Amino acid sequence: MRNNLRLLKALTWVVGGGFLLILPFLIPTRMHVAIIALYYAILASSWALLAGYGGQFSFAHMAFAGLGAYTAGLVGKFFRLTTAPTHVCHEWSLGGWWLVVQDTGSPTCLETAKASMPAGTVIMQFPSWLDITLGILVGGLFGLLIGALVLRLRRTYLALFTIAFAEILRTAINAERDITGGPGGLKVAPLFPDGITLFGHHFSAADKWPPYLVMLILFLGIMALMYWLAGSRFGLFIRSIREDEEAAGSLGVHVVRYKILLFTVTAMFAAAAGGVYAHFVRVIAPNMMVIKEMSVVISMAVIGGMESLLGAAIGAILIEFALEQLRNDITIGSFTLHMTDWRLVVFGALLMITLRFWGNGLIYPIIQRITRRGVAEETVAKRLQAAAANPEEPST
Amino acid sequence: MIELDVKDVSKNFGGLLAVNHVSFQVRGPELIGLIGPNGAGKTTLTNLLSGALKPTSGTIYMNGQRIDVLPPYKIAKVGLGRTFQVTRAFRRMTVLENLLVPALAMHPTARQAQFVKKAREVAEFLTIDHLLNEYARALSGGQQKLLELGRLLMLDPDFIILDEPFAGVHPKLMEIIYEYITETNKKGKAFLIISHDMETIFTLSQRLLVMAFGKLIADGPPQEVRKDPAVIKAYLGSDSDKPWQPERKRVPA
Amino acid sequence: MNFPSYFWYTVLWLIFWGAVGALVTPRVYTRKDKFTYQTAMLGAFVGAALGPVGLILLWWFTPPASLKWLGLSGLLILVWLAAAFAKADPDNLCVTSGSFIATQITNGLVIGAIYGLMALGLTLIFSILGIVSFAHGEFYMLGGMVTYYATEVWFPDLNPLVGVLIAALFTFALGAVFELLFLRPMITGQIERPGEYAILVTFGLAFFLQYTTLSLVGASPKKASRFFDYPRVKIPAETGDLLKITPGNLTFFDLISIPTARFTALMIALVLLFALLYFLYRTWTGKALRAVSQDRQAAAVTGINPKRMNTLAFALGGMLAGISGAALVQVFSWVPWVGIPASSRSFVIIVLGGMGSLPGAFIGGLILGVVEALGAGCVPDPHRAAAYLPAYGMIILVLVLLLKPTGLFGREL
Ligand SMILES: Nc1ncnc2c1ncn2[C@@H]1O[C@H](COP(=O)(O)OP(=O)(O)O)[C@@H](O)[C@H]1O
Ligand SMILES: [Mg+2]
Repeated sequence: MRNNLRLLKALTWVVGGGFLLILPFLIPTRMHVAIIALYYAILASSWALLAGYGGQFSFAHMAFAGLGAYTAGLVGKFFRLTTAPTHVCHEWSLGGWWLVVQDTGSPTCLETAKASMPAGTVIMQFPSWLDITLGILVGGLFGLLIGALVLRLRRTYLALFTIAFAEILRTAINAERDITGGPGGLKVAPLFPDGITLFGHHFSAADKWPPYLVMLILFLGIMALMYWLAGSRFGLFIRSIREDEEAAGSLGVHVVRYKILLFTVTAMFAAAAGGVYAHFVRVIAPNMMVIKEMSVVISMAVIGGMESLLGAAIGAILIEFALEQLRNDITIGSFTLHMTDWRLVVFGALLMITLRFWGNGLIYPIIQRITRRGVAEETVAKRLQAAAANPEEPST
Repeated sequence: MIELDVKDVSKNFGGLLAVNHVSFQVRGPELIGLIGPNGAGKTTLTNLLSGALKPTSGTIYMNGQRIDVLPPYKIAKVGLGRTFQVTRAFRRMTVLENLLVPALAMHPTARQAQFVKKAREVAEFLTIDHLLNEYARALSGGQQKLLELGRLLMLDPDFIILDEPFAGVHPKLMEIIYEYITETNKKGKAFLIISHDMETIFTLSQRLLVMAFGKLIADGPPQEVRKDPAVIKAYLGSDSDKPWQPERKRVPA
Repeated sequence: MNFPSYFWYTVLWLIFWGAVGALVTPRVYTRKDKFTYQTAMLGAFVGAALGPVGLILLWWFTPPASLKWLGLSGLLILVWLAAAFAKADPDNLCVTSGSFIATQITNGLVIGAIYGLMALGLTLIFSILGIVSFAHGEFYMLGGMVTYYATEVWFPDLNPLVGVLIAALFTFALGAVFELLFLRPMITGQIERPGEYAILVTFGLAFFLQYTTLSLVGASPKKASRFFDYPRVKIPAETGDLLKITPGNLTFFDLISIPTARFTALMIALVLLFALLYFLYRTWTGKALRAVSQDRQAAAVTGINPKRMNTLAFALGGMLAGISGAALVQVFSWVPWVGIPASSRSFVIIVLGGMGSLPGAFIGGLILGVVEALGAGCVPDPHRAAAYLPAYGMIILVLVLLLKPTGLFGREL
């Protein structure tokens, strides 16, 4: 039975990954939705790791995604790499290259310097992978900080603290227009500004295949990493902390370390998703961090099943497609239902009803039925066996 | 060999002295009973030993190391394990996972697979091996109690505190727990067992501590403690079913 | 305008020594075998107020953390901040105009009283059900929306107070229905993880109510006209030095001016506050409610039905938010998401006042009202001042949770 399970897992990976790989061929006009769906899938499943596995009901997950996105965007806005010094901007030498910062005090310094720089000087932005990596680091740093600060806070207090953190961050980004562009948004370069050639085909910067593939790889990579984490001692420990922090501590589990670690890694996953998202949508606004977005992610995880990474991811993908599908208004006679708003009503109702009647979500029970098939029968069989061996004793 | 030194430990809950200057020592694999009326401070003392609570004053040393300042997980690593008065199995984890947690926590570099065999043996000893893949919440109350004992076997501490292990368990289970204690004790582990079951605790333990009003009022072999006038007055002599409260003393903060 | 760095250096200085104090002080107390209760906060306060000198004195004498020392150093911190502010931005209205400050503070208190009323609802829910409703702001939003529609759209001639009453009934009923359908199962054991469930399901309710409202009424801002137009009055009659009333404004002592709409809202809130106090302390049901909040089991023994009290508390809490919204719909413009910042404010207030504490909620409301008014009025760049408005309360929330999670009047955890 164990071997069957392993086969099943491998099969899930191959079939799931394969399906997502050919998905764009099936719905070529909906690639945008597919990319966003993967973005939500990363967020929902990493939130499931944080809240469902670890019991840390944080509302700051979108804030971490926002940190990743804004770090990527701001690095692109303010930082340049050049092969010659400008002598006017703030700059640091990096062995042959210069890191040039066009801060808000001298936004046009590079333009001014261009004239005096030697011919053939290369001026370039940070490559996308680098600014996304920086975003992940920033996200992780904040995750570490938040994780350390909320150690003593449980449930409601934790929820309130993380909401406050997220709101402060969003408000600050909103307010500091000079730096972040404020509510109007921040322009971000495409993932591959000059396009990219893959399998002999050249994709332009606006093409949706490259971001889809990047998001898919990120999604699969993070899923693999999270499954590895969840299956390792880390997974066992954070679940034991979720169940009973004090008991876990008394059994030798380093509660503090694992809680902080959990916050840090999930924040990094969210920031990674945010970074790629920023390069894909090209304009990011503080709206990506509003409570509503957080509600959407939480709902996806809850409906899919918070205690299952796969359930949450599937939930996110299905719901994102469903929400997009439901955008079309419904007209009955003279009466028109504006579905852009009503679909979210349906969604909210679904969330509440799921919570009320299916605490494990809608998709996780299906997964569980497959993976835990036979456990109950096994138990019963063993119990009968034991009873048969010594008939006079009542089973405990 | 285990050495535990509890020196003048007190715990003050906002004016209520739940544990009042308690001192005792443990040397070697003793089997110690701890009795006392409800509210005497037994559970609080347990929590102080395991690090779940920090003493208001006093110190606790184990094997030469001061443990009252350590976080619970470090105390577990020094070699002290405990159960809780109300069972606290990890309900949404399987029995096997419950058993693996302490083993992995104790061995930072080990892999899960190394302990599955041991977990199976422990479960077999406690007669819950048929439930290994069930979620702990599916277990009966008694079975969850056994699971907690199983976790301690996996943790493998030198000093084991059991908070009312016999409360509300049926005779068959009692036998298993009794056997668990004596068997483990034979392997050189010391026990501190809180119980209201006088008969069992008198036959089981080699040494008896008695608490009342937060104070340790007697410490000695069960036969002698039974005759101690202070104990008779404070505890055995009175109606032992009647719960009583320790006096509330306002202590200036 | 470039806000000079004086202020920020002062803030950094305060934060730095506060953090040092918070981290080191409990250790010093432990080392000296002193009672460490709340010494982290004492250290933070003294460190921020008096810097290294204060900390060394504190560590030398290690006095117990009493309200006296906390209050004094807290006050000193405020003085430092105010001084740094005045030095950094000497032309600011907040520094030059006493009248402006007085008006800001008074308006803050007025709005704060209404916030306090709303937070009272939340604290009532918490003390009976043991949960925080994340949909509290949506009750506030609906209270305003219903009042607006009742008095402006459906029955334009309706007395506004009747509109408020309709809003009260509506939010009460909504609260009761939701409690029965979704929260009752928690105490009957049908829900596996009640703590997490309560957070998520009220969160879901908030989402549901926001979008239902949006779908029904659209996103355009609505604003009810003033409930009452005040007569023109001057006291004394010629100059109006003591009190000047115009249809839109009240001016006291020629110094403090309050829009009449806010004043009306304040009156509604105060009447309601007294009604609530009467209900809780003088009626059987109210006493039963308080009994349940203190000891559920004991209350049940005396014949109180705790389940029914749960429903009542949630409905009542929702209603208090609803009435607060109804009172303010004539002050602010109303959109389906006005509830979101309102929720956040209530969270700040109940944490600041101490979860489950009724006086705490009210006083917390006043404090938050003043902080927001001063923030909005004094932060130099008006654009920034407005943009940062939601953050002021959140900063308070974070500080309270870090320094004293039980708040000002909370029961010890
Ligand atoms: N966390 C706590 N806060 C306040 N009082 C407590 C706390 N834990 C225990 N107490 C009080 O301390 C006393 C001793 O309790 P306990 O140690 O549980 O007694 P026992 O286990 O001997 O029955 C009791 O009066 C109890 O009410
Ligand atoms: Mg006890």
